[in-house]
Amino acid sequence: METRPLLQPLLRSISAPTSTPTSTRAAAAVTVACIPRRHQSSTSRTKRALKVAPHPSFFPTSAGSESSSTQVIYNPPSSAPSVYHTPFKFLPPSDPRRKANLAQLLRSSADLASSSASKSSSLPPELKDRERKYNVTQEQVEEMRMLRASDPERWSVLRLAEKYGCAPYFILMCCRAPTDHRDRERARLEAVKARWGAIRSAAREERKKRRDLLHKGML
Amino acid sequence: MKRIRLHRLSSQLLSTTPARSPPSSTRICRAAQISRLQAPLCCQRRWQTTSSEAVLEDPDNMEEIPILPPEEDRITPLPSPPPERALYSAKLAALHARLSLSSKIPLQTLARTLIDPSADADPRFNNANLAFVGASILQYHTSEFLITRYPRLPMAILFSAMKGYSGVPALHQIARAWGVEAAAAPGEEVDPGLLQFSQDKPTVMMSKWGYVRAESKEIQKYKWRRGLSSAVVYDNAFGEMVSEQRQQKTEEREGTPPEVSAARNTKDLVVDNPVGNAHANFVRAVVGAIYLHCGRDAAKTFVKSHVLSRTLDLSNMFEFKTPARELVRLCGREDFDPPVARLLSETGRLSRTPVFVVGIYSGRDLLGEGAASSLNDARVAAAINALKAWYLYSPVDTAVPSDTFMEDAAPYKPAYVDIGEIIS
Repeated sequence: METRPLLQPLLRSISAPTSTPTSTRAAAAVTVACIPRRHQSSTSRTKRALKVAPHPSFFPTSAGSESSSTQVIYNPPSSAPSVYHTPFKFLPPSDPRRKANLAQLLRSSADLASSSASKSSSLPPELKDRERKYNVTQEQVEEMRMLRASDPERWSVLRLAEKYGCAPYFILMCCRAPTDHRDRERARLEAVKARWGAIRSAAREERKKRRDLLHKGML
Repeated sequence: MKRIRLHRLSSQLLSTTPARSPPSSTRICRAAQISRLQAPLCCQRRWQTTSSEAVLEDPDNMEEIPILPPEEDRITPLPSPPPERALYSAKLAALHARLSLSSKIPLQTLARTLIDPSADADPRFNNANLAFVGASILQYHTSEFLITRYPRLPMAILFSAMKGYSGVPALHQIARAWGVEAAAAPGEEVDPGLLQFSQDKPTVMMSKWGYVRAESKEIQKYKWRRGLSSAVVYDNAFGEMVSEQRQQKTEEREGTPPEVSAARNTKDLVVDNPVGNAHANFVRAVVGAIYLHCGRDAAKTFVKSHVLSRTLDLSNMFEFKTPARELVRLCGREDFDPPVARLLSETGRLSRTPVFVVGIYSGRDLLGEGAASSLNDARVAAAINALKAWYLYSPVDTAVPSDTFMEDAAPYKPAYVDIGEIIS
């Protein structure tokens, strides 16, 4: 037992030059990392490492014996919040819970008074949403429709989105291609899908199933 | 051999009793008369004493022997057991005790609730009328329970929840849990404690509110879309379309039909789930019988303890198509700050199994949070949870309107009911 800590650096120094005769410094570092090191080598060490003291909430706060006997320990495991718990904002004005929760009531009224700039100080970081631009005018929409109807091959959705600086989804909302173009595009897409192999089609199917499950709240 | 002979005995004897009384009196009324009740017993005793040796000699040609006076030669067996035999059925007594029914409800009535219209088409002897009363009481209590308890439920969920509490599948389960067994085939000689129905005879479907639409045939044939607001007006309590044939049968039943005519009912001769329909009709008929014999409050207590006490997970019934857009609409409608997704916590972003917890905030208020393995999915899950939290709001005081029917009840305070679901 005592010899192992002494032997290990010795082994390392021996094995490093033998395995790498070129003996560059980087290569030696790699081989040293590759040598398996035993961290928790025995049961007793693992058990000792995993022995964690219980959370302080499990211990009674006061040392008095009569108070500890009447104490209720409430320490639920972390879990997803229940949807049956209505957020304060969703309570209707007639609900008595709104009047009972004075702290929330005062806080939300203070929120209304304060500006939106001071709001985001202590809140968690915002998820980046895609940029919303409202830059397309009515005339541009008309022009867009005209272009799309006249030559849908040339003025594709992506090209139009690039031209007007808006999202492709907005182009899809505004314009509708001629029927023959739509049919052609659909046939092309079907041909592409027909070339898919088993793995890719299964992956698409599963993605669809996952999306459905997500919208049912079962994922 | 002995067992078979006894069955034959009882069936022959009982068929000779005046089975179908004049239409002025129902079977329950006759059963209440004690002299009539004694009649079959006396007959049996006399028969056993007089002609037992004939049976012992030759049990096979027993049917040929004219045991009873020839003017009562209506040997055609009754479609269902006569109510007089209800007093001697152990199964019925056990069921009566198991349901802790009041002693005001006679066993004959309980026996009548077990006879489906498909077994006995005569409305004076089957449970159709009792089930009609029971269905209306059941659906009334279910709907008032749901609306006062969850005043913001969308209409589609409300219809599904109605079906989940008092629809055919739920009532079938309840009847099974009560320990009611179905007879192999309905008939006069069957124990009256068994549920009597037949799979291939026309029966009556009980959920019969609503109107027949002018375009109902096209809806059935071409699968036309029908909107939810028209379902509120036209359809039955579960949001199912009322079709033409069913309506005909309703008229037929509500009038004075002597028999369910075969010609009219060949269209939907068999309902899609005859077993479930028969069991559900039995439960409804029990509720109707309690209402008739014990009154409104007893029926309400019974419905509450047997139907509304069941657990139905409403939060799993929702399915959203565009939850984020719906939440934006909700916040706009209710004049809240627009919803913002914020990352509450994350782990393993660069690993194969990351977990992101995203919360949807409106102003400083957390509306809902969801966890998923991608940021977008977590955002969608959080929006869904926020919407569910909106829809599944439940007020503190869930007093129902029927509470005011009781004596010395406080005057009814109008319940909060939301203005309606979010349309995105």
